[in-house]
Amino acid sequence: MIRVAAVGDIHMGLDSQGLLRPAFDTLPDCADLLLLAGDLTRHGTPEEARVVAEEVTGLPVPVVAVLGNHDHHDEKPEEVAAVLNAAGVRVLEGQGMVVEVDGARVGVAGTKGFGGGFVGRSGSEFGEPLMKEFIRYTRRCADGLRTALDELAGQGCGTRVALTHFSPVPDTLAGEPPEIYPFLGSYLLAEAIDTAGADLAVHGHAHAGTEHGMTSGGVPVRNVAQPVIRRAFSVYHLHGHEAPTTASASAGAVG
Amino acid sequence: MNAHAGNAERAENNVEYRIAHLQERLAAGELGELGMRVEPRGSAVAVMGTVPTAHCREELLRAVDEELAGLAVHYDIVVAEAAAPDHPEEVA
Repeated sequence: MIRVAAVGDIHMGLDSQGLLRPAFDTLPDCADLLLLAGDLTRHGTPEEARVVAEEVTGLPVPVVAVLGNHDHHDEKPEEVAAVLNAAGVRVLEGQGMVVEVDGARVGVAGTKGFGGGFVGRSGSEFGEPLMKEFIRYTRRCADGLRTALDELAGQGCGTRVALTHFSPVPDTLAGEPPEIYPFLGSYLLAEAIDTAGADLAVHGHAHAGTEHGMTSGGVPVRNVAQPVIRRAFSVYHLHGHEAPTTASASAGAVG
Repeated sequence: MNAHAGNAERAENNVEYRIAHLQERLAAGELGELGMRVEPRGSAVAVMGTVPTAHCREELLRAVDEELAGLAVHYDIVVAEAAAPDHPEEVA
């Protein structure tokens, strides 16, 4: 059994120091790894990133993260990622990471993702250059996620988790105004997850959404935005299986 | 007052636009807050959502007081829980 802790949208600012550390200190008792599903800061400044870094520095479980839209606001996502990396957090964007848990290989593939909407109610690559680039950007994020999941399968991961900030499904947006769904996620992320396969998909971003959902391919989806789960993190127990063998599972090193 | 001046005054007092301007301020300002629901309810305005800290709650209330001065406001603001969970979920 793999124990996955996850939270997103912790939106830490300079007034947040030490808020989550007491809860994170309990992680070794209940989880094998911690996933951070983006929007770790409020404005994406390196100063805010240092607050996040201090919350997780020295934790005895691996910490894997993606950035969110807030982490891009100051237009220094590389600096934010560097601050987190220096604290031992592996920040993923179109990449994967393998974690060994009691001899089992657990793969986490991550991308921030982006919006565009869901099947039948989505934008498309048409019209103004900005509109085309909007959807193409989401597609690049989804392609990176699919490739990383494929590569993790090729590396013998019996359990694989897809980590995003934006949502792959509309299920976990229930509670949000339907008019803003296209700004909250994209079916392209779910299609990538279903194509490559995964045991769990975790995202944030939708504060007024709900925790539970599922892709049309049957992959469980969890919205771990802190306002949704109403605690420092959630813990999911996954029951691994033999490494999947798919036609695209022969990829080499992960992203 | 000419007709255009009257239109400008009506727009300035338009509750929907005042709500929109509040939401723009919440997003662009110190809070960086995009997750707050601000909706007209009868003759009042409802402000609902979760903020990361008590300080953010104070800043939010101050911004709402300034932007929606003169309007009745109903608040349902929660400060995010920072406690560890008491049980896991078995994902089948």
